[in-house]
Amino acid sequence: MIRIKIVLLIILVIILTISGFQLYHHRHYQIPIVAGPGVTRVLKLSHYLPSLKGSMADTWVFFLEGQEPGGKVLILGNTHANEPEGLLTALVIIENGQVEKGTVIIIPQFNHSASRFTRPGDGYPLFFEIPTSWGKKKFRMGNREASPLDQWPDPDVYIHYPERQLLSFLDARNVNRTWPGRPNGLPMEQVTFAAMELIRQERVDLVIDIHGAETMFPVTNCIVAPEKSAKLATMVSLTVKAMEKFDNHVEPSPPKFRGLSHREIGDYSEAMPFLLEAPIPFLDQPTGPKTERLLLDGRDPFLLRLARKKKLFVPYDETGWPMDKRVGQHLSVTLELLKQYSRRTPDRAIVIHNVPRYAEVVEHGVGYYFVNPSTVSPDKIYFN
Amino acid sequence: MKFLAKKYWGLTLFSIIILFILILPLRAQTKIPKASLPVLTTSAGQSNDVNTVNIILEEAGIKYDYCDVPDVDLIKSGVGLADRESGPGFHVEVYTDLSKYPKGTPYKTIIFAIGASLKGMGASGLTVETEEARLKRIVDYCQKNNIFIIAVHVGGSALRGAPGSDNERMIDAVAPYANYIIVTKDSNKDGRFTNIAKARNIPLTEVDYALDLVKIFKEVFQ
Repeated sequence: MIRIKIVLLIILVIILTISGFQLYHHRHYQIPIVAGPGVTRVLKLSHYLPSLKGSMADTWVFFLEGQEPGGKVLILGNTHANEPEGLLTALVIIENGQVEKGTVIIIPQFNHSASRFTRPGDGYPLFFEIPTSWGKKKFRMGNREASPLDQWPDPDVYIHYPERQLLSFLDARNVNRTWPGRPNGLPMEQVTFAAMELIRQERVDLVIDIHGAETMFPVTNCIVAPEKSAKLATMVSLTVKAMEKFDNHVEPSPPKFRGLSHREIGDYSEAMPFLLEAPIPFLDQPTGPKTERLLLDGRDPFLLRLARKKKLFVPYDETGWPMDKRVGQHLSVTLELLKQYSRRTPDRAIVIHNVPRYAEVVEHGVGYYFVNPSTVSPDKIYFN
Repeated sequence: MKFLAKKYWGLTLFSIIILFILILPLRAQTKIPKASLPVLTTSAGQSNDVNTVNIILEEAGIKYDYCDVPDVDLIKSGVGLADRESGPGFHVEVYTDLSKYPKGTPYKTIIFAIGASLKGMGASGLTVETEEARLKRIVDYCQKNNIFIIAVHVGGSALRGAPGSDNERMIDAVAPYANYIIVTKDSNKDGRFTNIAKARNIPLTEVDYALDLVKIFKEVFQ
């Protein structure tokens, strides 16, 4: 009996050592972000709230400023680090975009801590790779919430500040529930407060928060917008459908559901917020194994059967919902938001070039737009 | 067919096909009627599509008033909607050019954006039945007062359903009494609006995309 216990103990130690090493490697793996020719300034988010400095919650903020003054847009990627289309969309703009008028501000890894954590029990791949012309670019696959290593302990119930709405305990680590945040609150409340300070101090006109959502969730393949952003969002939705032939309907931001970017940014600043959702089959529950392939191509036989029974909220066939399509949609919707806003408010126009749209990303693949870090000067490469 | 030489059969068949191809779209695309300002927009079923209609009017440069749940008394009060203010479950926007149409000017056109949303109706304290009753009162008032009714359905198949479903009841409440129907092809896949238009002799325009309504509205209010 003792011999069996010793053998089991050894097996347990081996399992813990191997998985511990993998998790350590995941948490410490660095993703190079290449500051493209349009990047004029790079700051840390702690510039707007010094208490974040040196913590895992701090993250890079990239500025792409035009020669002509104009409006300002803040783009957030990886609010949820298990929805990587947000990160990839942000990186395509950072590495390629050149601003003629106004300012584009991008935080590609808004919940930096969540990008260094995986979802316990769901068998997520720790990494995924995007093929490029110069090899594969490797990314960490993160989680929806910040790592408990960076924010602990969780409360029994998260009480939203300042509305005092009772939310799930997990939402204390979810930066899409902690808006508008507070300077002396939990680390994730500090992250959103710092972003609110950025929005207020820089006089940001538009905030675009980029996500992915399940195909079985009604709020998917859409632009979520509060009352003040609804008209612009609707015009964008109509335009991309007519001009680029993809659906992206508008969902109203519920006024009584607190803590979300599309609600609080609008209520606590002058900016107009938009939350973009593209369908990500990987996040649906009734799928096969959560593999890197499912993450990238979005093809799953179980979802296909459900689609035939009309249980999904988006069209779904054998082609799945690939990453290129998701990133392409996000880029086109983002560019169209800037275009329509600029048309309506020419004195606060934001004009950006060299960013691909939907059809181009679908044709070439998102990896086509990533720059090989080994070919650029080291001072152009940023690691969080 | 004896009088037709065999060699002309092919030509005759070809001509018939071409004629059919040319006539077919005309069945759906009738001449665009003219409507007058001032115009009020509202929802039939409280879906988000009334926002789409409002934005399209803005793109077309047409000034309008909007109320999501007006009843006859409010419509009677004319332009400016009696200075009512928005509140929970009740939204008002006044953009009509008051220098041309002072407050109180009777509306000459009402645009209904058709599409049922239980969430939308719930937020305004309505049920399918009370929404139907409200629409009937407005339609009756419009018909008695020669107010031009434009019925718009741009929500596609998502805002259609089985006979008797919420969306179809909203269509029944407005479309047969409209003076003009505009729909997207997605909304009219089953030809329901075409059938209503034919049965009631109502002009109907079918467009590919909701954005195409910008051009249509410009022409309607020219």
